[in-house]
Amino acid sequence: MAGGILAVAALGFSLVWGILNIINLAHGTFIMLGAYITWQLFTSFHLDPFLSVPIAFAIMYGFGYVLQRGLINQVVRAPILATFLLTFGLSLLLVNLALIVWTGDTRAVSPAYSGANFTVAGVTVPWTKLATLGAALLITALMHVWLVRSKLGRAIRAMAMDVGAAQLAGVRVAHVYAVTFGLGAGLAGAAGALLSLSYSLNPSMGEPFLIKSFVVCVLGGLGSVQGALVGGLVYGIVESFASQLDVTVLGQHLSGSGLQDVIALVVLLVVLVARPTGIMGRAAA
Amino acid sequence: MSADGVLRIENVGMRFGGLWALKGVSFEVRPGSIVGLIGPNGSGKTTLMNVISGVVKPAEGEVAYAGRTIADVPTHDVCRLGIARTFQVVKPFAGLTVRENVAVGAMYGRDGATLSTAACFDRAQALLEEVGLARVAERPASDLTIPDRKRLEVAKALALDPSLLLLDEVMAGLNASEVDEALHLLRAVNARGVTLIVVEHLMKAIMSISTSIVVLAEGKKIAEGLPAEIVASPAVVEAYLGARYAARQGRGRT
Amino acid sequence: MNRLLRGLGLGGITGSPQAFAVSLGIMALLLALPALHNGYLELTFRNILMFAAMSYGWNLLGGYTGYVSFGNVVFFGIGAYCSAVLSAHHVDSLLADVPVALVCAALFAIVVGVPILRLRGHYFGIATLGIALAAADLANNLDVLGGSGGLALKQVPQEQFSLYYYAMWAVALACMLGTFAIARSKLGYAFVAIRENEDAAQVLGVWPTRYKVTAYALGAMMTAAAGAVYAPANGFVDPSIAFAVDDNVFPIVMSILGGMGTAAGPFIGALLLAGLNEILQSQFVKIHSLFFGAIIVLVVLFLPRGIVYLIGLRGGMRRYLADRAAFRV
Repeated sequence: MAGGILAVAALGFSLVWGILNIINLAHGTFIMLGAYITWQLFTSFHLDPFLSVPIAFAIMYGFGYVLQRGLINQVVRAPILATFLLTFGLSLLLVNLALIVWTGDTRAVSPAYSGANFTVAGVTVPWTKLATLGAALLITALMHVWLVRSKLGRAIRAMAMDVGAAQLAGVRVAHVYAVTFGLGAGLAGAAGALLSLSYSLNPSMGEPFLIKSFVVCVLGGLGSVQGALVGGLVYGIVESFASQLDVTVLGQHLSGSGLQDVIALVVLLVVLVARPTGIMGRAAA
Repeated sequence: MSADGVLRIENVGMRFGGLWALKGVSFEVRPGSIVGLIGPNGSGKTTLMNVISGVVKPAEGEVAYAGRTIADVPTHDVCRLGIARTFQVVKPFAGLTVRENVAVGAMYGRDGATLSTAACFDRAQALLEEVGLARVAERPASDLTIPDRKRLEVAKALALDPSLLLLDEVMAGLNASEVDEALHLLRAVNARGVTLIVVEHLMKAIMSISTSIVVLAEGKKIAEGLPAEIVASPAVVEAYLGARYAARQGRGRT
Repeated sequence: MNRLLRGLGLGGITGSPQAFAVSLGIMALLLALPALHNGYLELTFRNILMFAAMSYGWNLLGGYTGYVSFGNVVFFGIGAYCSAVLSAHHVDSLLADVPVALVCAALFAIVVGVPILRLRGHYFGIATLGIALAAADLANNLDVLGGSGGLALKQVPQEQFSLYYYAMWAVALACMLGTFAIARSKLGYAFVAIRENEDAAQVLGVWPTRYKVTAYALGAMMTAAAGAVYAPANGFVDPSIAFAVDDNVFPIVMSILGGMGTAAGPFIGALLLAGLNEILQSQFVKIHSLFFGAIIVLVVLFLPRGIVYLIGLRGGMRRYLADRAAFRV
């Protein structure tokens, strides 16, 4: 089920990376912000977390747009490290701001229906997890349709292929860059909103999701919606299998639950070396 | 003449996807000669250069130089066989100075291992004077104009001390007097015993410098001979000039 | 002027010679620091020197060959654990720790580097990040390394406190001079040729894999040496210390701030950033990270090419603004 949320988070990360060539180290922080927006709306206005998903998306979209337009566009043509570092600094800044605003205390979003579940063929399925997966798939599908059908979506995809040619064809690069980054942030916000239902909140909660987004992007190939979806689901499955493992190597007992990240990362490394453009990837540009 | 120094291209074929960029191309290049390689756009000239310089391996056939099969040699070792090349799309080391660009060639070329760093810089300086870039030796390569970048490509290739030099459109974009200078330079290089394969679109230039011409069209060799024979060949006029006339007329309409 | 500098062996790909001279001067002053008998200062500057060494380790691959590693901390961890494991076997001497760490780090870099240095751009970076994270998880689960509980090393006697300062100073100096020597040699030009255009470098006879792995292994050794000195000085190692996220990211930030692909940049960056971080930490206990984040953002916006670039800049404000404008869309 976590694979669905991961797909949404990774899709945002993948768009920004694949199209703007920016590794957004603040992506995990954006996810955290999305979760806190949901928590704040739930606590202050008793708003249903699922209704917060589009709100978190919209707020984070606006935030991402302004960030890209105001700051990141200044150095977007510099060697990749400039944006890498910039987003690292931003992430540090935002996490610490969140610490001041919401403190480091662990928070939870628990609507009345959070415990409800049903049983199919002997397996107990919580309603919230199923709804979360549904929402994640819906967001991914909407994103796909928008990218393929809308004018702006086409401009974004054109830019991924050739910035110069897109510019000649009348694409306003600064604006489209900002929209793309905004979408990345918005998707992170939506993923954060969905996460808030099943994870407890704290300002550094985003970090593991940043790393997982990385892995999913590499598994699925950059900048592709299908890639993020397949990559997210595959990662979710690998991770849950990894946690079941128990191995003994050279007299050292290693239990799967402590090693699920290692195993996921080993899978990542194998995929990287064998298929550097991802499972669903195209030839490298 | 011994087999040493002969470049043999035998039945070379290369495909990208379902398309044959080269098919059944064979010819020989004798040491000391200047071979002009011509053909319409997309006829496979650059692909053939890539095969000869070991950047890509042919799907069929083989290229052998001085008795060694190029495909068996790692790309970075091809220059140690004495083969150097320039790129049609120039690839300067933008962050280095012009002299450093050329010095890198001297450092890792055929005799690079025996040269001190200072000797490499000295050779670079001498080559820059020869190709007319001494005035910008200290400038970063990113500052160069397009014609100067072409000169830099030639100087870098020469720094490897090659016996066979592949030149991919080094005269494109030069004006008439610059073309004359370039031709003068190439003759001087050839006079030192360096075999040249020259890809060029400037008919006048290539006909005047080449000792023989090979014509490619749609990946196949359609003619080979002395410049005078090529100009008179009906097959070449049809395939090569025909395509160009058609292109020119197409441009005239828009 | 340029000819003269080259005659002296300066200029070229070492970066601004003035910046390097200043760095050497500061290093000479730092040698006298223990004479002040100020434990706090000594600790602070030992930390700065450690970060300088790690930045040099990152810079050799990241700055010179252009292959950006996001996981160099793994070599720091290898160095630290080498010392810790040796100490567990009652070997407590830097003369054993450092060579063992150098060998282990170089071997690890070669074994790992050959497959992953085939990857280009971001993919290489992610592979290195994956390795660093996996190494930390592995150390958490390996009993030989003490698991998550870590390993304690022999306590440092009070009178030997300065020994570790001098050792870290020597490591940092060796990294600085080593980088300078490499940048003046053919090896340095092979690295830079790969950074500028790998295909063109290959046609000019540079074997990319060989030189990338060389840069990776040399950088690994620099980083591991810092770890090998740090562990006994600290007296304790666990996965969160040996593979700390800060130790992974700071050297990158420092190299960029100082100037990537220069012989002085990593030291200047480490001096400024580690020093600043120390001051912020003591002045703003709770929110120093906030300021630190803001400083990084400002550095990237206004000094994307680093301080050594600024020192060597010819053409004043106009060139600076023109260079910055080139990065904007």
